[in-house]
Amino acid sequence: MTVVACLKWLTPHDADDRFGGISPADSSALEWALRLGEQRGEDVLAITVGPAAADTALRDALACGAQRAIRVDAVDELLSTDVAAAIASAIDGVDVSYVCCGDYSLDRGTGSVPAFLAAQIEARQALGLIEVVLGSDVIALRRLDGGRRERLRVDAPAVLSVEGATATLRRAPLSGALAARNATIEVVAGPVGSHLPTARRPYRPRARVLPPPKGGTLERVQSLLSGGAATKSHGVPVELSPDEAAERILAALDEWGYA
Amino acid sequence: MAERSTDFDAIVVGAGPAGSCAAIELARAGKSVLLIERGPFPGSKNMYGGVVYPRILDELIPQWWEEAPIQRWVTRRSTMIMTPTQALTIDFRSQNWAAPPYNGATAYRPDFDHWLANKATDAGAQLLCSTVVTGVLRDSAGNVTGVRTDRPDGDLTAKVVIACDGVNSFIAKEVGLYGKADASNYTLGVKETLALPKETIDERFGVRGREGVDIEVVGCTEGVNGGGFVYTNLDTVSLGVVLKLPKLAAQKKRPEEIIASFKKHPAIAPLIEGAELKEYSAHVIPEAGYKMFPKLVGPGLLVAGDAAALCLAAGIWLEGVNFAMASGMYAGRAAAQALTRGNTGPDGLKPYLTMLDTSFVLKDHQKLQEIPHLVLSDRVQNQYPGFIANIVERMFRVDNPTPKPGLRRILLEERKRAGIRWRDLLRDGRTGMKGFG
Repeated sequence: MTVVACLKWLTPHDADDRFGGISPADSSALEWALRLGEQRGEDVLAITVGPAAADTALRDALACGAQRAIRVDAVDELLSTDVAAAIASAIDGVDVSYVCCGDYSLDRGTGSVPAFLAAQIEARQALGLIEVVLGSDVIALRRLDGGRRERLRVDAPAVLSVEGATATLRRAPLSGALAARNATIEVVAGPVGSHLPTARRPYRPRARVLPPPKGGTLERVQSLLSGGAATKSHGVPVELSPDEAAERILAALDEWGYA
Repeated sequence: MAERSTDFDAIVVGAGPAGSCAAIELARAGKSVLLIERGPFPGSKNMYGGVVYPRILDELIPQWWEEAPIQRWVTRRSTMIMTPTQALTIDFRSQNWAAPPYNGATAYRPDFDHWLANKATDAGAQLLCSTVVTGVLRDSAGNVTGVRTDRPDGDLTAKVVIACDGVNSFIAKEVGLYGKADASNYTLGVKETLALPKETIDERFGVRGREGVDIEVVGCTEGVNGGGFVYTNLDTVSLGVVLKLPKLAAQKKRPEEIIASFKKHPAIAPLIEGAELKEYSAHVIPEAGYKMFPKLVGPGLLVAGDAAALCLAAGIWLEGVNFAMASGMYAGRAAAQALTRGNTGPDGLKPYLTMLDTSFVLKDHQKLQEIPHLVLSDRVQNQYPGFIANIVERMFRVDNPTPKPGLRRILLEERKRAGIRWRDLLRDGRTGMKGFG
């Protein structure tokens, strides 16, 4: 079987390919793919959908320990459904156990490719993971709204999308770095032409669901006008020893859903 | 994926101009050569903002000017003597430098170094980026047999190592080629890159198209021995100062304050008015020239470029990249010959010294060996700018009804006012003539 790591090549605005790279979330995904491959004794396949410059990311993955690399050749920006379909097509015939993706890319990504990919390859999905534990089972901790968490046992075949902080990509060994420079990258033809809407609109951040304001009319108006600051709790002054203060902070963070 | 050998004929540490030229020579001679760069790509760690004189590239890359990523060809060279309220500029312009084979050019080193390293890989050298060399490998006899890198299983072996690892060459120091470090041999170069529209730069600096300007300034560093510079790129201006390290420390001044004062000078401020700061960077420069050179050849090791302190800071001549490219080229050539002969010991690598000795690399440094100290001396830095500027001011000042004073009288009076002794003036003049003459 094979563990697949999906990587997205990004080039900063107004910069050339020398400054390109993958997002921290994708680096993290690659590391999880490598760990899964080692634990399960499976090969790791790195795949990307992008231009020739993206070979750099694949070579880095090979240097770190991936056994195989595929680039779906695509120059234009694509819809998430098209990217997922292209990846699914490229790994058709591969006996996939897990697919590791970053939760979303830095170029205003929507984080939807992993979900579409799971649908395409008919695999389970565990998305937006903030912790992965590899034991006899793959246990993943998933971030939910409102600071809540969901702990899942994820059996293969499954698509995992992880946040950047879940793992640090290993340093490629020298032998891997040397070999990867001339390693073979399989290139398959990808979708042609842009499938994105031609009309570009200004960037708008994603909508967030907020709880309805509490209290009377005046307080609600004040809350709306002040962005919530007027009705926000300003905390409770406490006098504690350093140890107690640290405990109190951790308890508060836990209560707010950050732990 | 097939494992590759970690043994090479030669390893070149540092993909700057020296390293890439060394790698080009070795690869063209058919040797297996690995060029190691600590940054993600060649030039990525560079902050250089000066003028490149690539004439030496004629030997390596014919018609290099047709493809080298330069910003502007320098057609105006100005030397400015500055006091807080005065500025005397000697300005030279030549349109001969605006056409092939050109003379000097401003360049962004991330572009220039990347281009030059590509020439090395085109020739067959292997480039390994994002890899830091942390030390050398040696056999029981002390001969350098390779390098250790910061990667897991990171040892590489080679018959020759060429250290082009920059001004703080840890390799040359580890092998004992440098003596005790002396801070007075170094300056701190501090540079701002300031963005302006190309048309504005053209208008303010009096140039057109790809023509560019190089302004070198003395007397602009608030009593800290050093100098200033202004170079035009296409749509940015590189402006900065170089500061002698012990003086900077002794006077407890901040380099950014000295740059800010330089930018406010009436002779500089109009040139950069409205510019947007894009980058601020600093780097140590080996300025003492010939007198600070390390041993350039060790057992299985050659040193080139800034690692060998091959930077010429001789007042009117401020050059480094050309010395780096030439020394790298000769190091690569000598290493290739030694490999062919099968003798990479100190004797086998000695022709490197002969090549440097018979070229401009050491000839210029030998001839100008006293000049860096003269240029950075207290008199040249703190007394002569005011002395010269006052003479010129009085020459052009009209004091009617007082009749014009004779030039001799002005000179004598201003010498006295500046507190310069005749014997010091004569001694400095003699040193200058010996170097420049």
